Amino acid sequence: MLVKINSAALSGLDAYLIEVEVDSSRGLPGQSIVGLPDASVKESRDRVKAAISNSGFEFPPGYFTINLAPADTRKEGPIYDLPIALGILCSSEQIVSSRLNDVVIFGELSLDGTVRPINGILPMCISIKKHGKKTVLVPQENADESALIEGLDVIPIRTLLDAIAYLTGNNGWKPHKINFDDFFKEESKYDMDFSDVKGQFHAKRALEIAAAGGHNILMVGPPGSGKSMLAKRFSTIVPKLSIDEALELTKVYSVCGLLPAKKSLITKRPFRAPHHSISYAGLIGGGSNPKPGEISLAHLGILFLDEFPEFRRDSLEVLRQPLEERVITISRAIGSLTFPAQITLIAAMNPCPCGYYTDNLKQCTCTAFQIQRYWSKLSGPLLDRIDLHIDVPRLKQDELHSKPSGESSTNIRNRVTCAKEIQNKRFNDNPFCSNSVMSSKQIRQFCVLTDEAQELLKSAIIKLKMSARSYDRILKVSRTIADLGGLETIEACHIAEATQYRSLDRKG
Amino acid sequence: MSKNTSKDIGTEGEDAASKYLISLGYQILERNFRSSQGEIDIIAKEKEFLVFLEIKNYSFRSYGSPLGAIRYHKKQSLKHAANTYLYKNNIKNTFCRFDAIGIYKSKSGKEFVEHIKNAFVIN
Repeated sequence: MLVKINSAALSGLDAYLIEVEVDSSRGLPGQSIVGLPDASVKESRDRVKAAISNSGFEFPPGYFTINLAPADTRKEGPIYDLPIALGILCSSEQIVSSRLNDVVIFGELSLDGTVRPINGILPMCISIKKHGKKTVLVPQENADESALIEGLDVIPIRTLLDAIAYLTGNNGWKPHKINFDDFFKEESKYDMDFSDVKGQFHAKRALEIAAAGGHNILMVGPPGSGKSMLAKRFSTIVPKLSIDEALELTKVYSVCGLLPAKKSLITKRPFRAPHHSISYAGLIGGGSNPKPGEISLAHLGILFLDEFPEFRRDSLEVLRQPLEERVITISRAIGSLTFPAQITLIAAMNPCPCGYYTDNLKQCTCTAFQIQRYWSKLSGPLLDRIDLHIDVPRLKQDELHSKPSGESSTNIRNRVTCAKEIQNKRFNDNPFCSNSVMSSKQIRQFCVLTDEAQELLKSAIIKLKMSARSYDRILKVSRTIADLGGLETIEACHIAEATQYRSLDRKG
Repeated sequence: MSKNTSKDIGTEGEDAASKYLISLGYQILERNFRSSQGEIDIIAKEKEFLVFLEIKNYSFRSYGSPLGAIRYHKKQSLKHAANTYLYKNNIKNTFCRFDAIGIYKSKSGKEFVEHIKNAFVIN
């Protein structure tokens, strides 16, 4: 007898529906799984066999052909254990169900018949809804995550027997429901604050601008000047995630299996700080069946690269395209996949190998050649893509002894949120837009300069020999500065401030 | 007079297994069925099942269960022989099963039969 069960498969951050077809025939006993299964799908044979016998059923005799249709895409992961087990039981007529057509089923089986959680539930539920299916059977642990998709009846199940009970009976199974507001309740608690950092008002202002407009920033300073401290506190001043953004971000974490236990929606902007030994595949994603890398895990959040020039050259240069396009496309033999990569890059570095080149107390011991070699690790095109370059000097003695002063994160965040709201209005409530991702058409439309500002910009371009991209960057940054001040047109002071954040351009 | 060759031990085991199977109501169809690549010790019928049996006769227990002696190559040759049998006798649409039987003798000469139904499947 032939049985078809609906399930889903992942392809990057998207999913598509598949059919698990199980056909039983008389003959020598055995099973074969076809439809481009990978090793973990093939292994499900043994798990399914044990789970069926340990759930009190008899593993039926005969030959089973299991097809995962469409047969031209590669299926991976253990998520088809449950549909295969149900298919085998149905095709041997040990269970009879009239509901198979309406439900979509996935789950990994453990040998005793319990259903284990799987990765990538959220994208799969999104595509299930898109294809007009109404009901999903999901592992209990994944229930919250699936219920994020409204209009889908989510039936959480614990064991193979639960699934059979749902499919064969009609006793009141209630769809799992969640309350969105619960997720955002704990959102704004941090154990760090911007007021912890003494002095560094220049850097704090630059970080505020970066947070408001989503600009990339490079901090240069001697060891111990507070670069890392500032970067870590950056998450406390970025605007809150909207629900759409949170869902988009959760998709990435769901596919990677990185969702924290008991938390099915990521509500804080991520802060990723990979070590500088990271490979380019670790940074942008990779693998023969590509998985997202750090840059996608930092989507809508912060990617902090400490000791910037220590990163491998090839790792850094792959950042060029995603910093510009805000997505990363990875091409492998099985096809090309696009992952989101809308990040705020915070890079920190010393001015020279010994670290004290710009310091006014300690003597630098580096030769000119060493310094040149250190800086040559950062290519012009990469620096060009970083909007704000700032110096973070050593704290003065009296600043060091003073009590922490300066504004709290809450105050700064309020201003940042105001600026973000202005941007939301400007970009028609598309939360994925910010000043830093404006197209050149949008720049011409939204960056209106006063005559005085126009003059200043013109002379700055000539004097600093800026590239066309730098020109756009200055306009974008000054747009954010004007937004922070609540002004419609960009004035000369905004241009002046934006220009001084391009200190590395000035060095030539 | 005759020396106990391993073939004799095998035949002895198969005789014992046949007796055991008949006592369970199996109908023995064939013994020592050979194909070009393998041999099936006993082919029997139990209800709707056609059962292919591999018999292992051990002089003592320490070699472990009969399943342990059936590895990949043995499975392949059994599969080949079974397919040949099905083809020659034009048997279709019948549930088949591979069983393994281990026969042990204790020191006192008492026989033990270990019967593993559905011992393995063809993948």
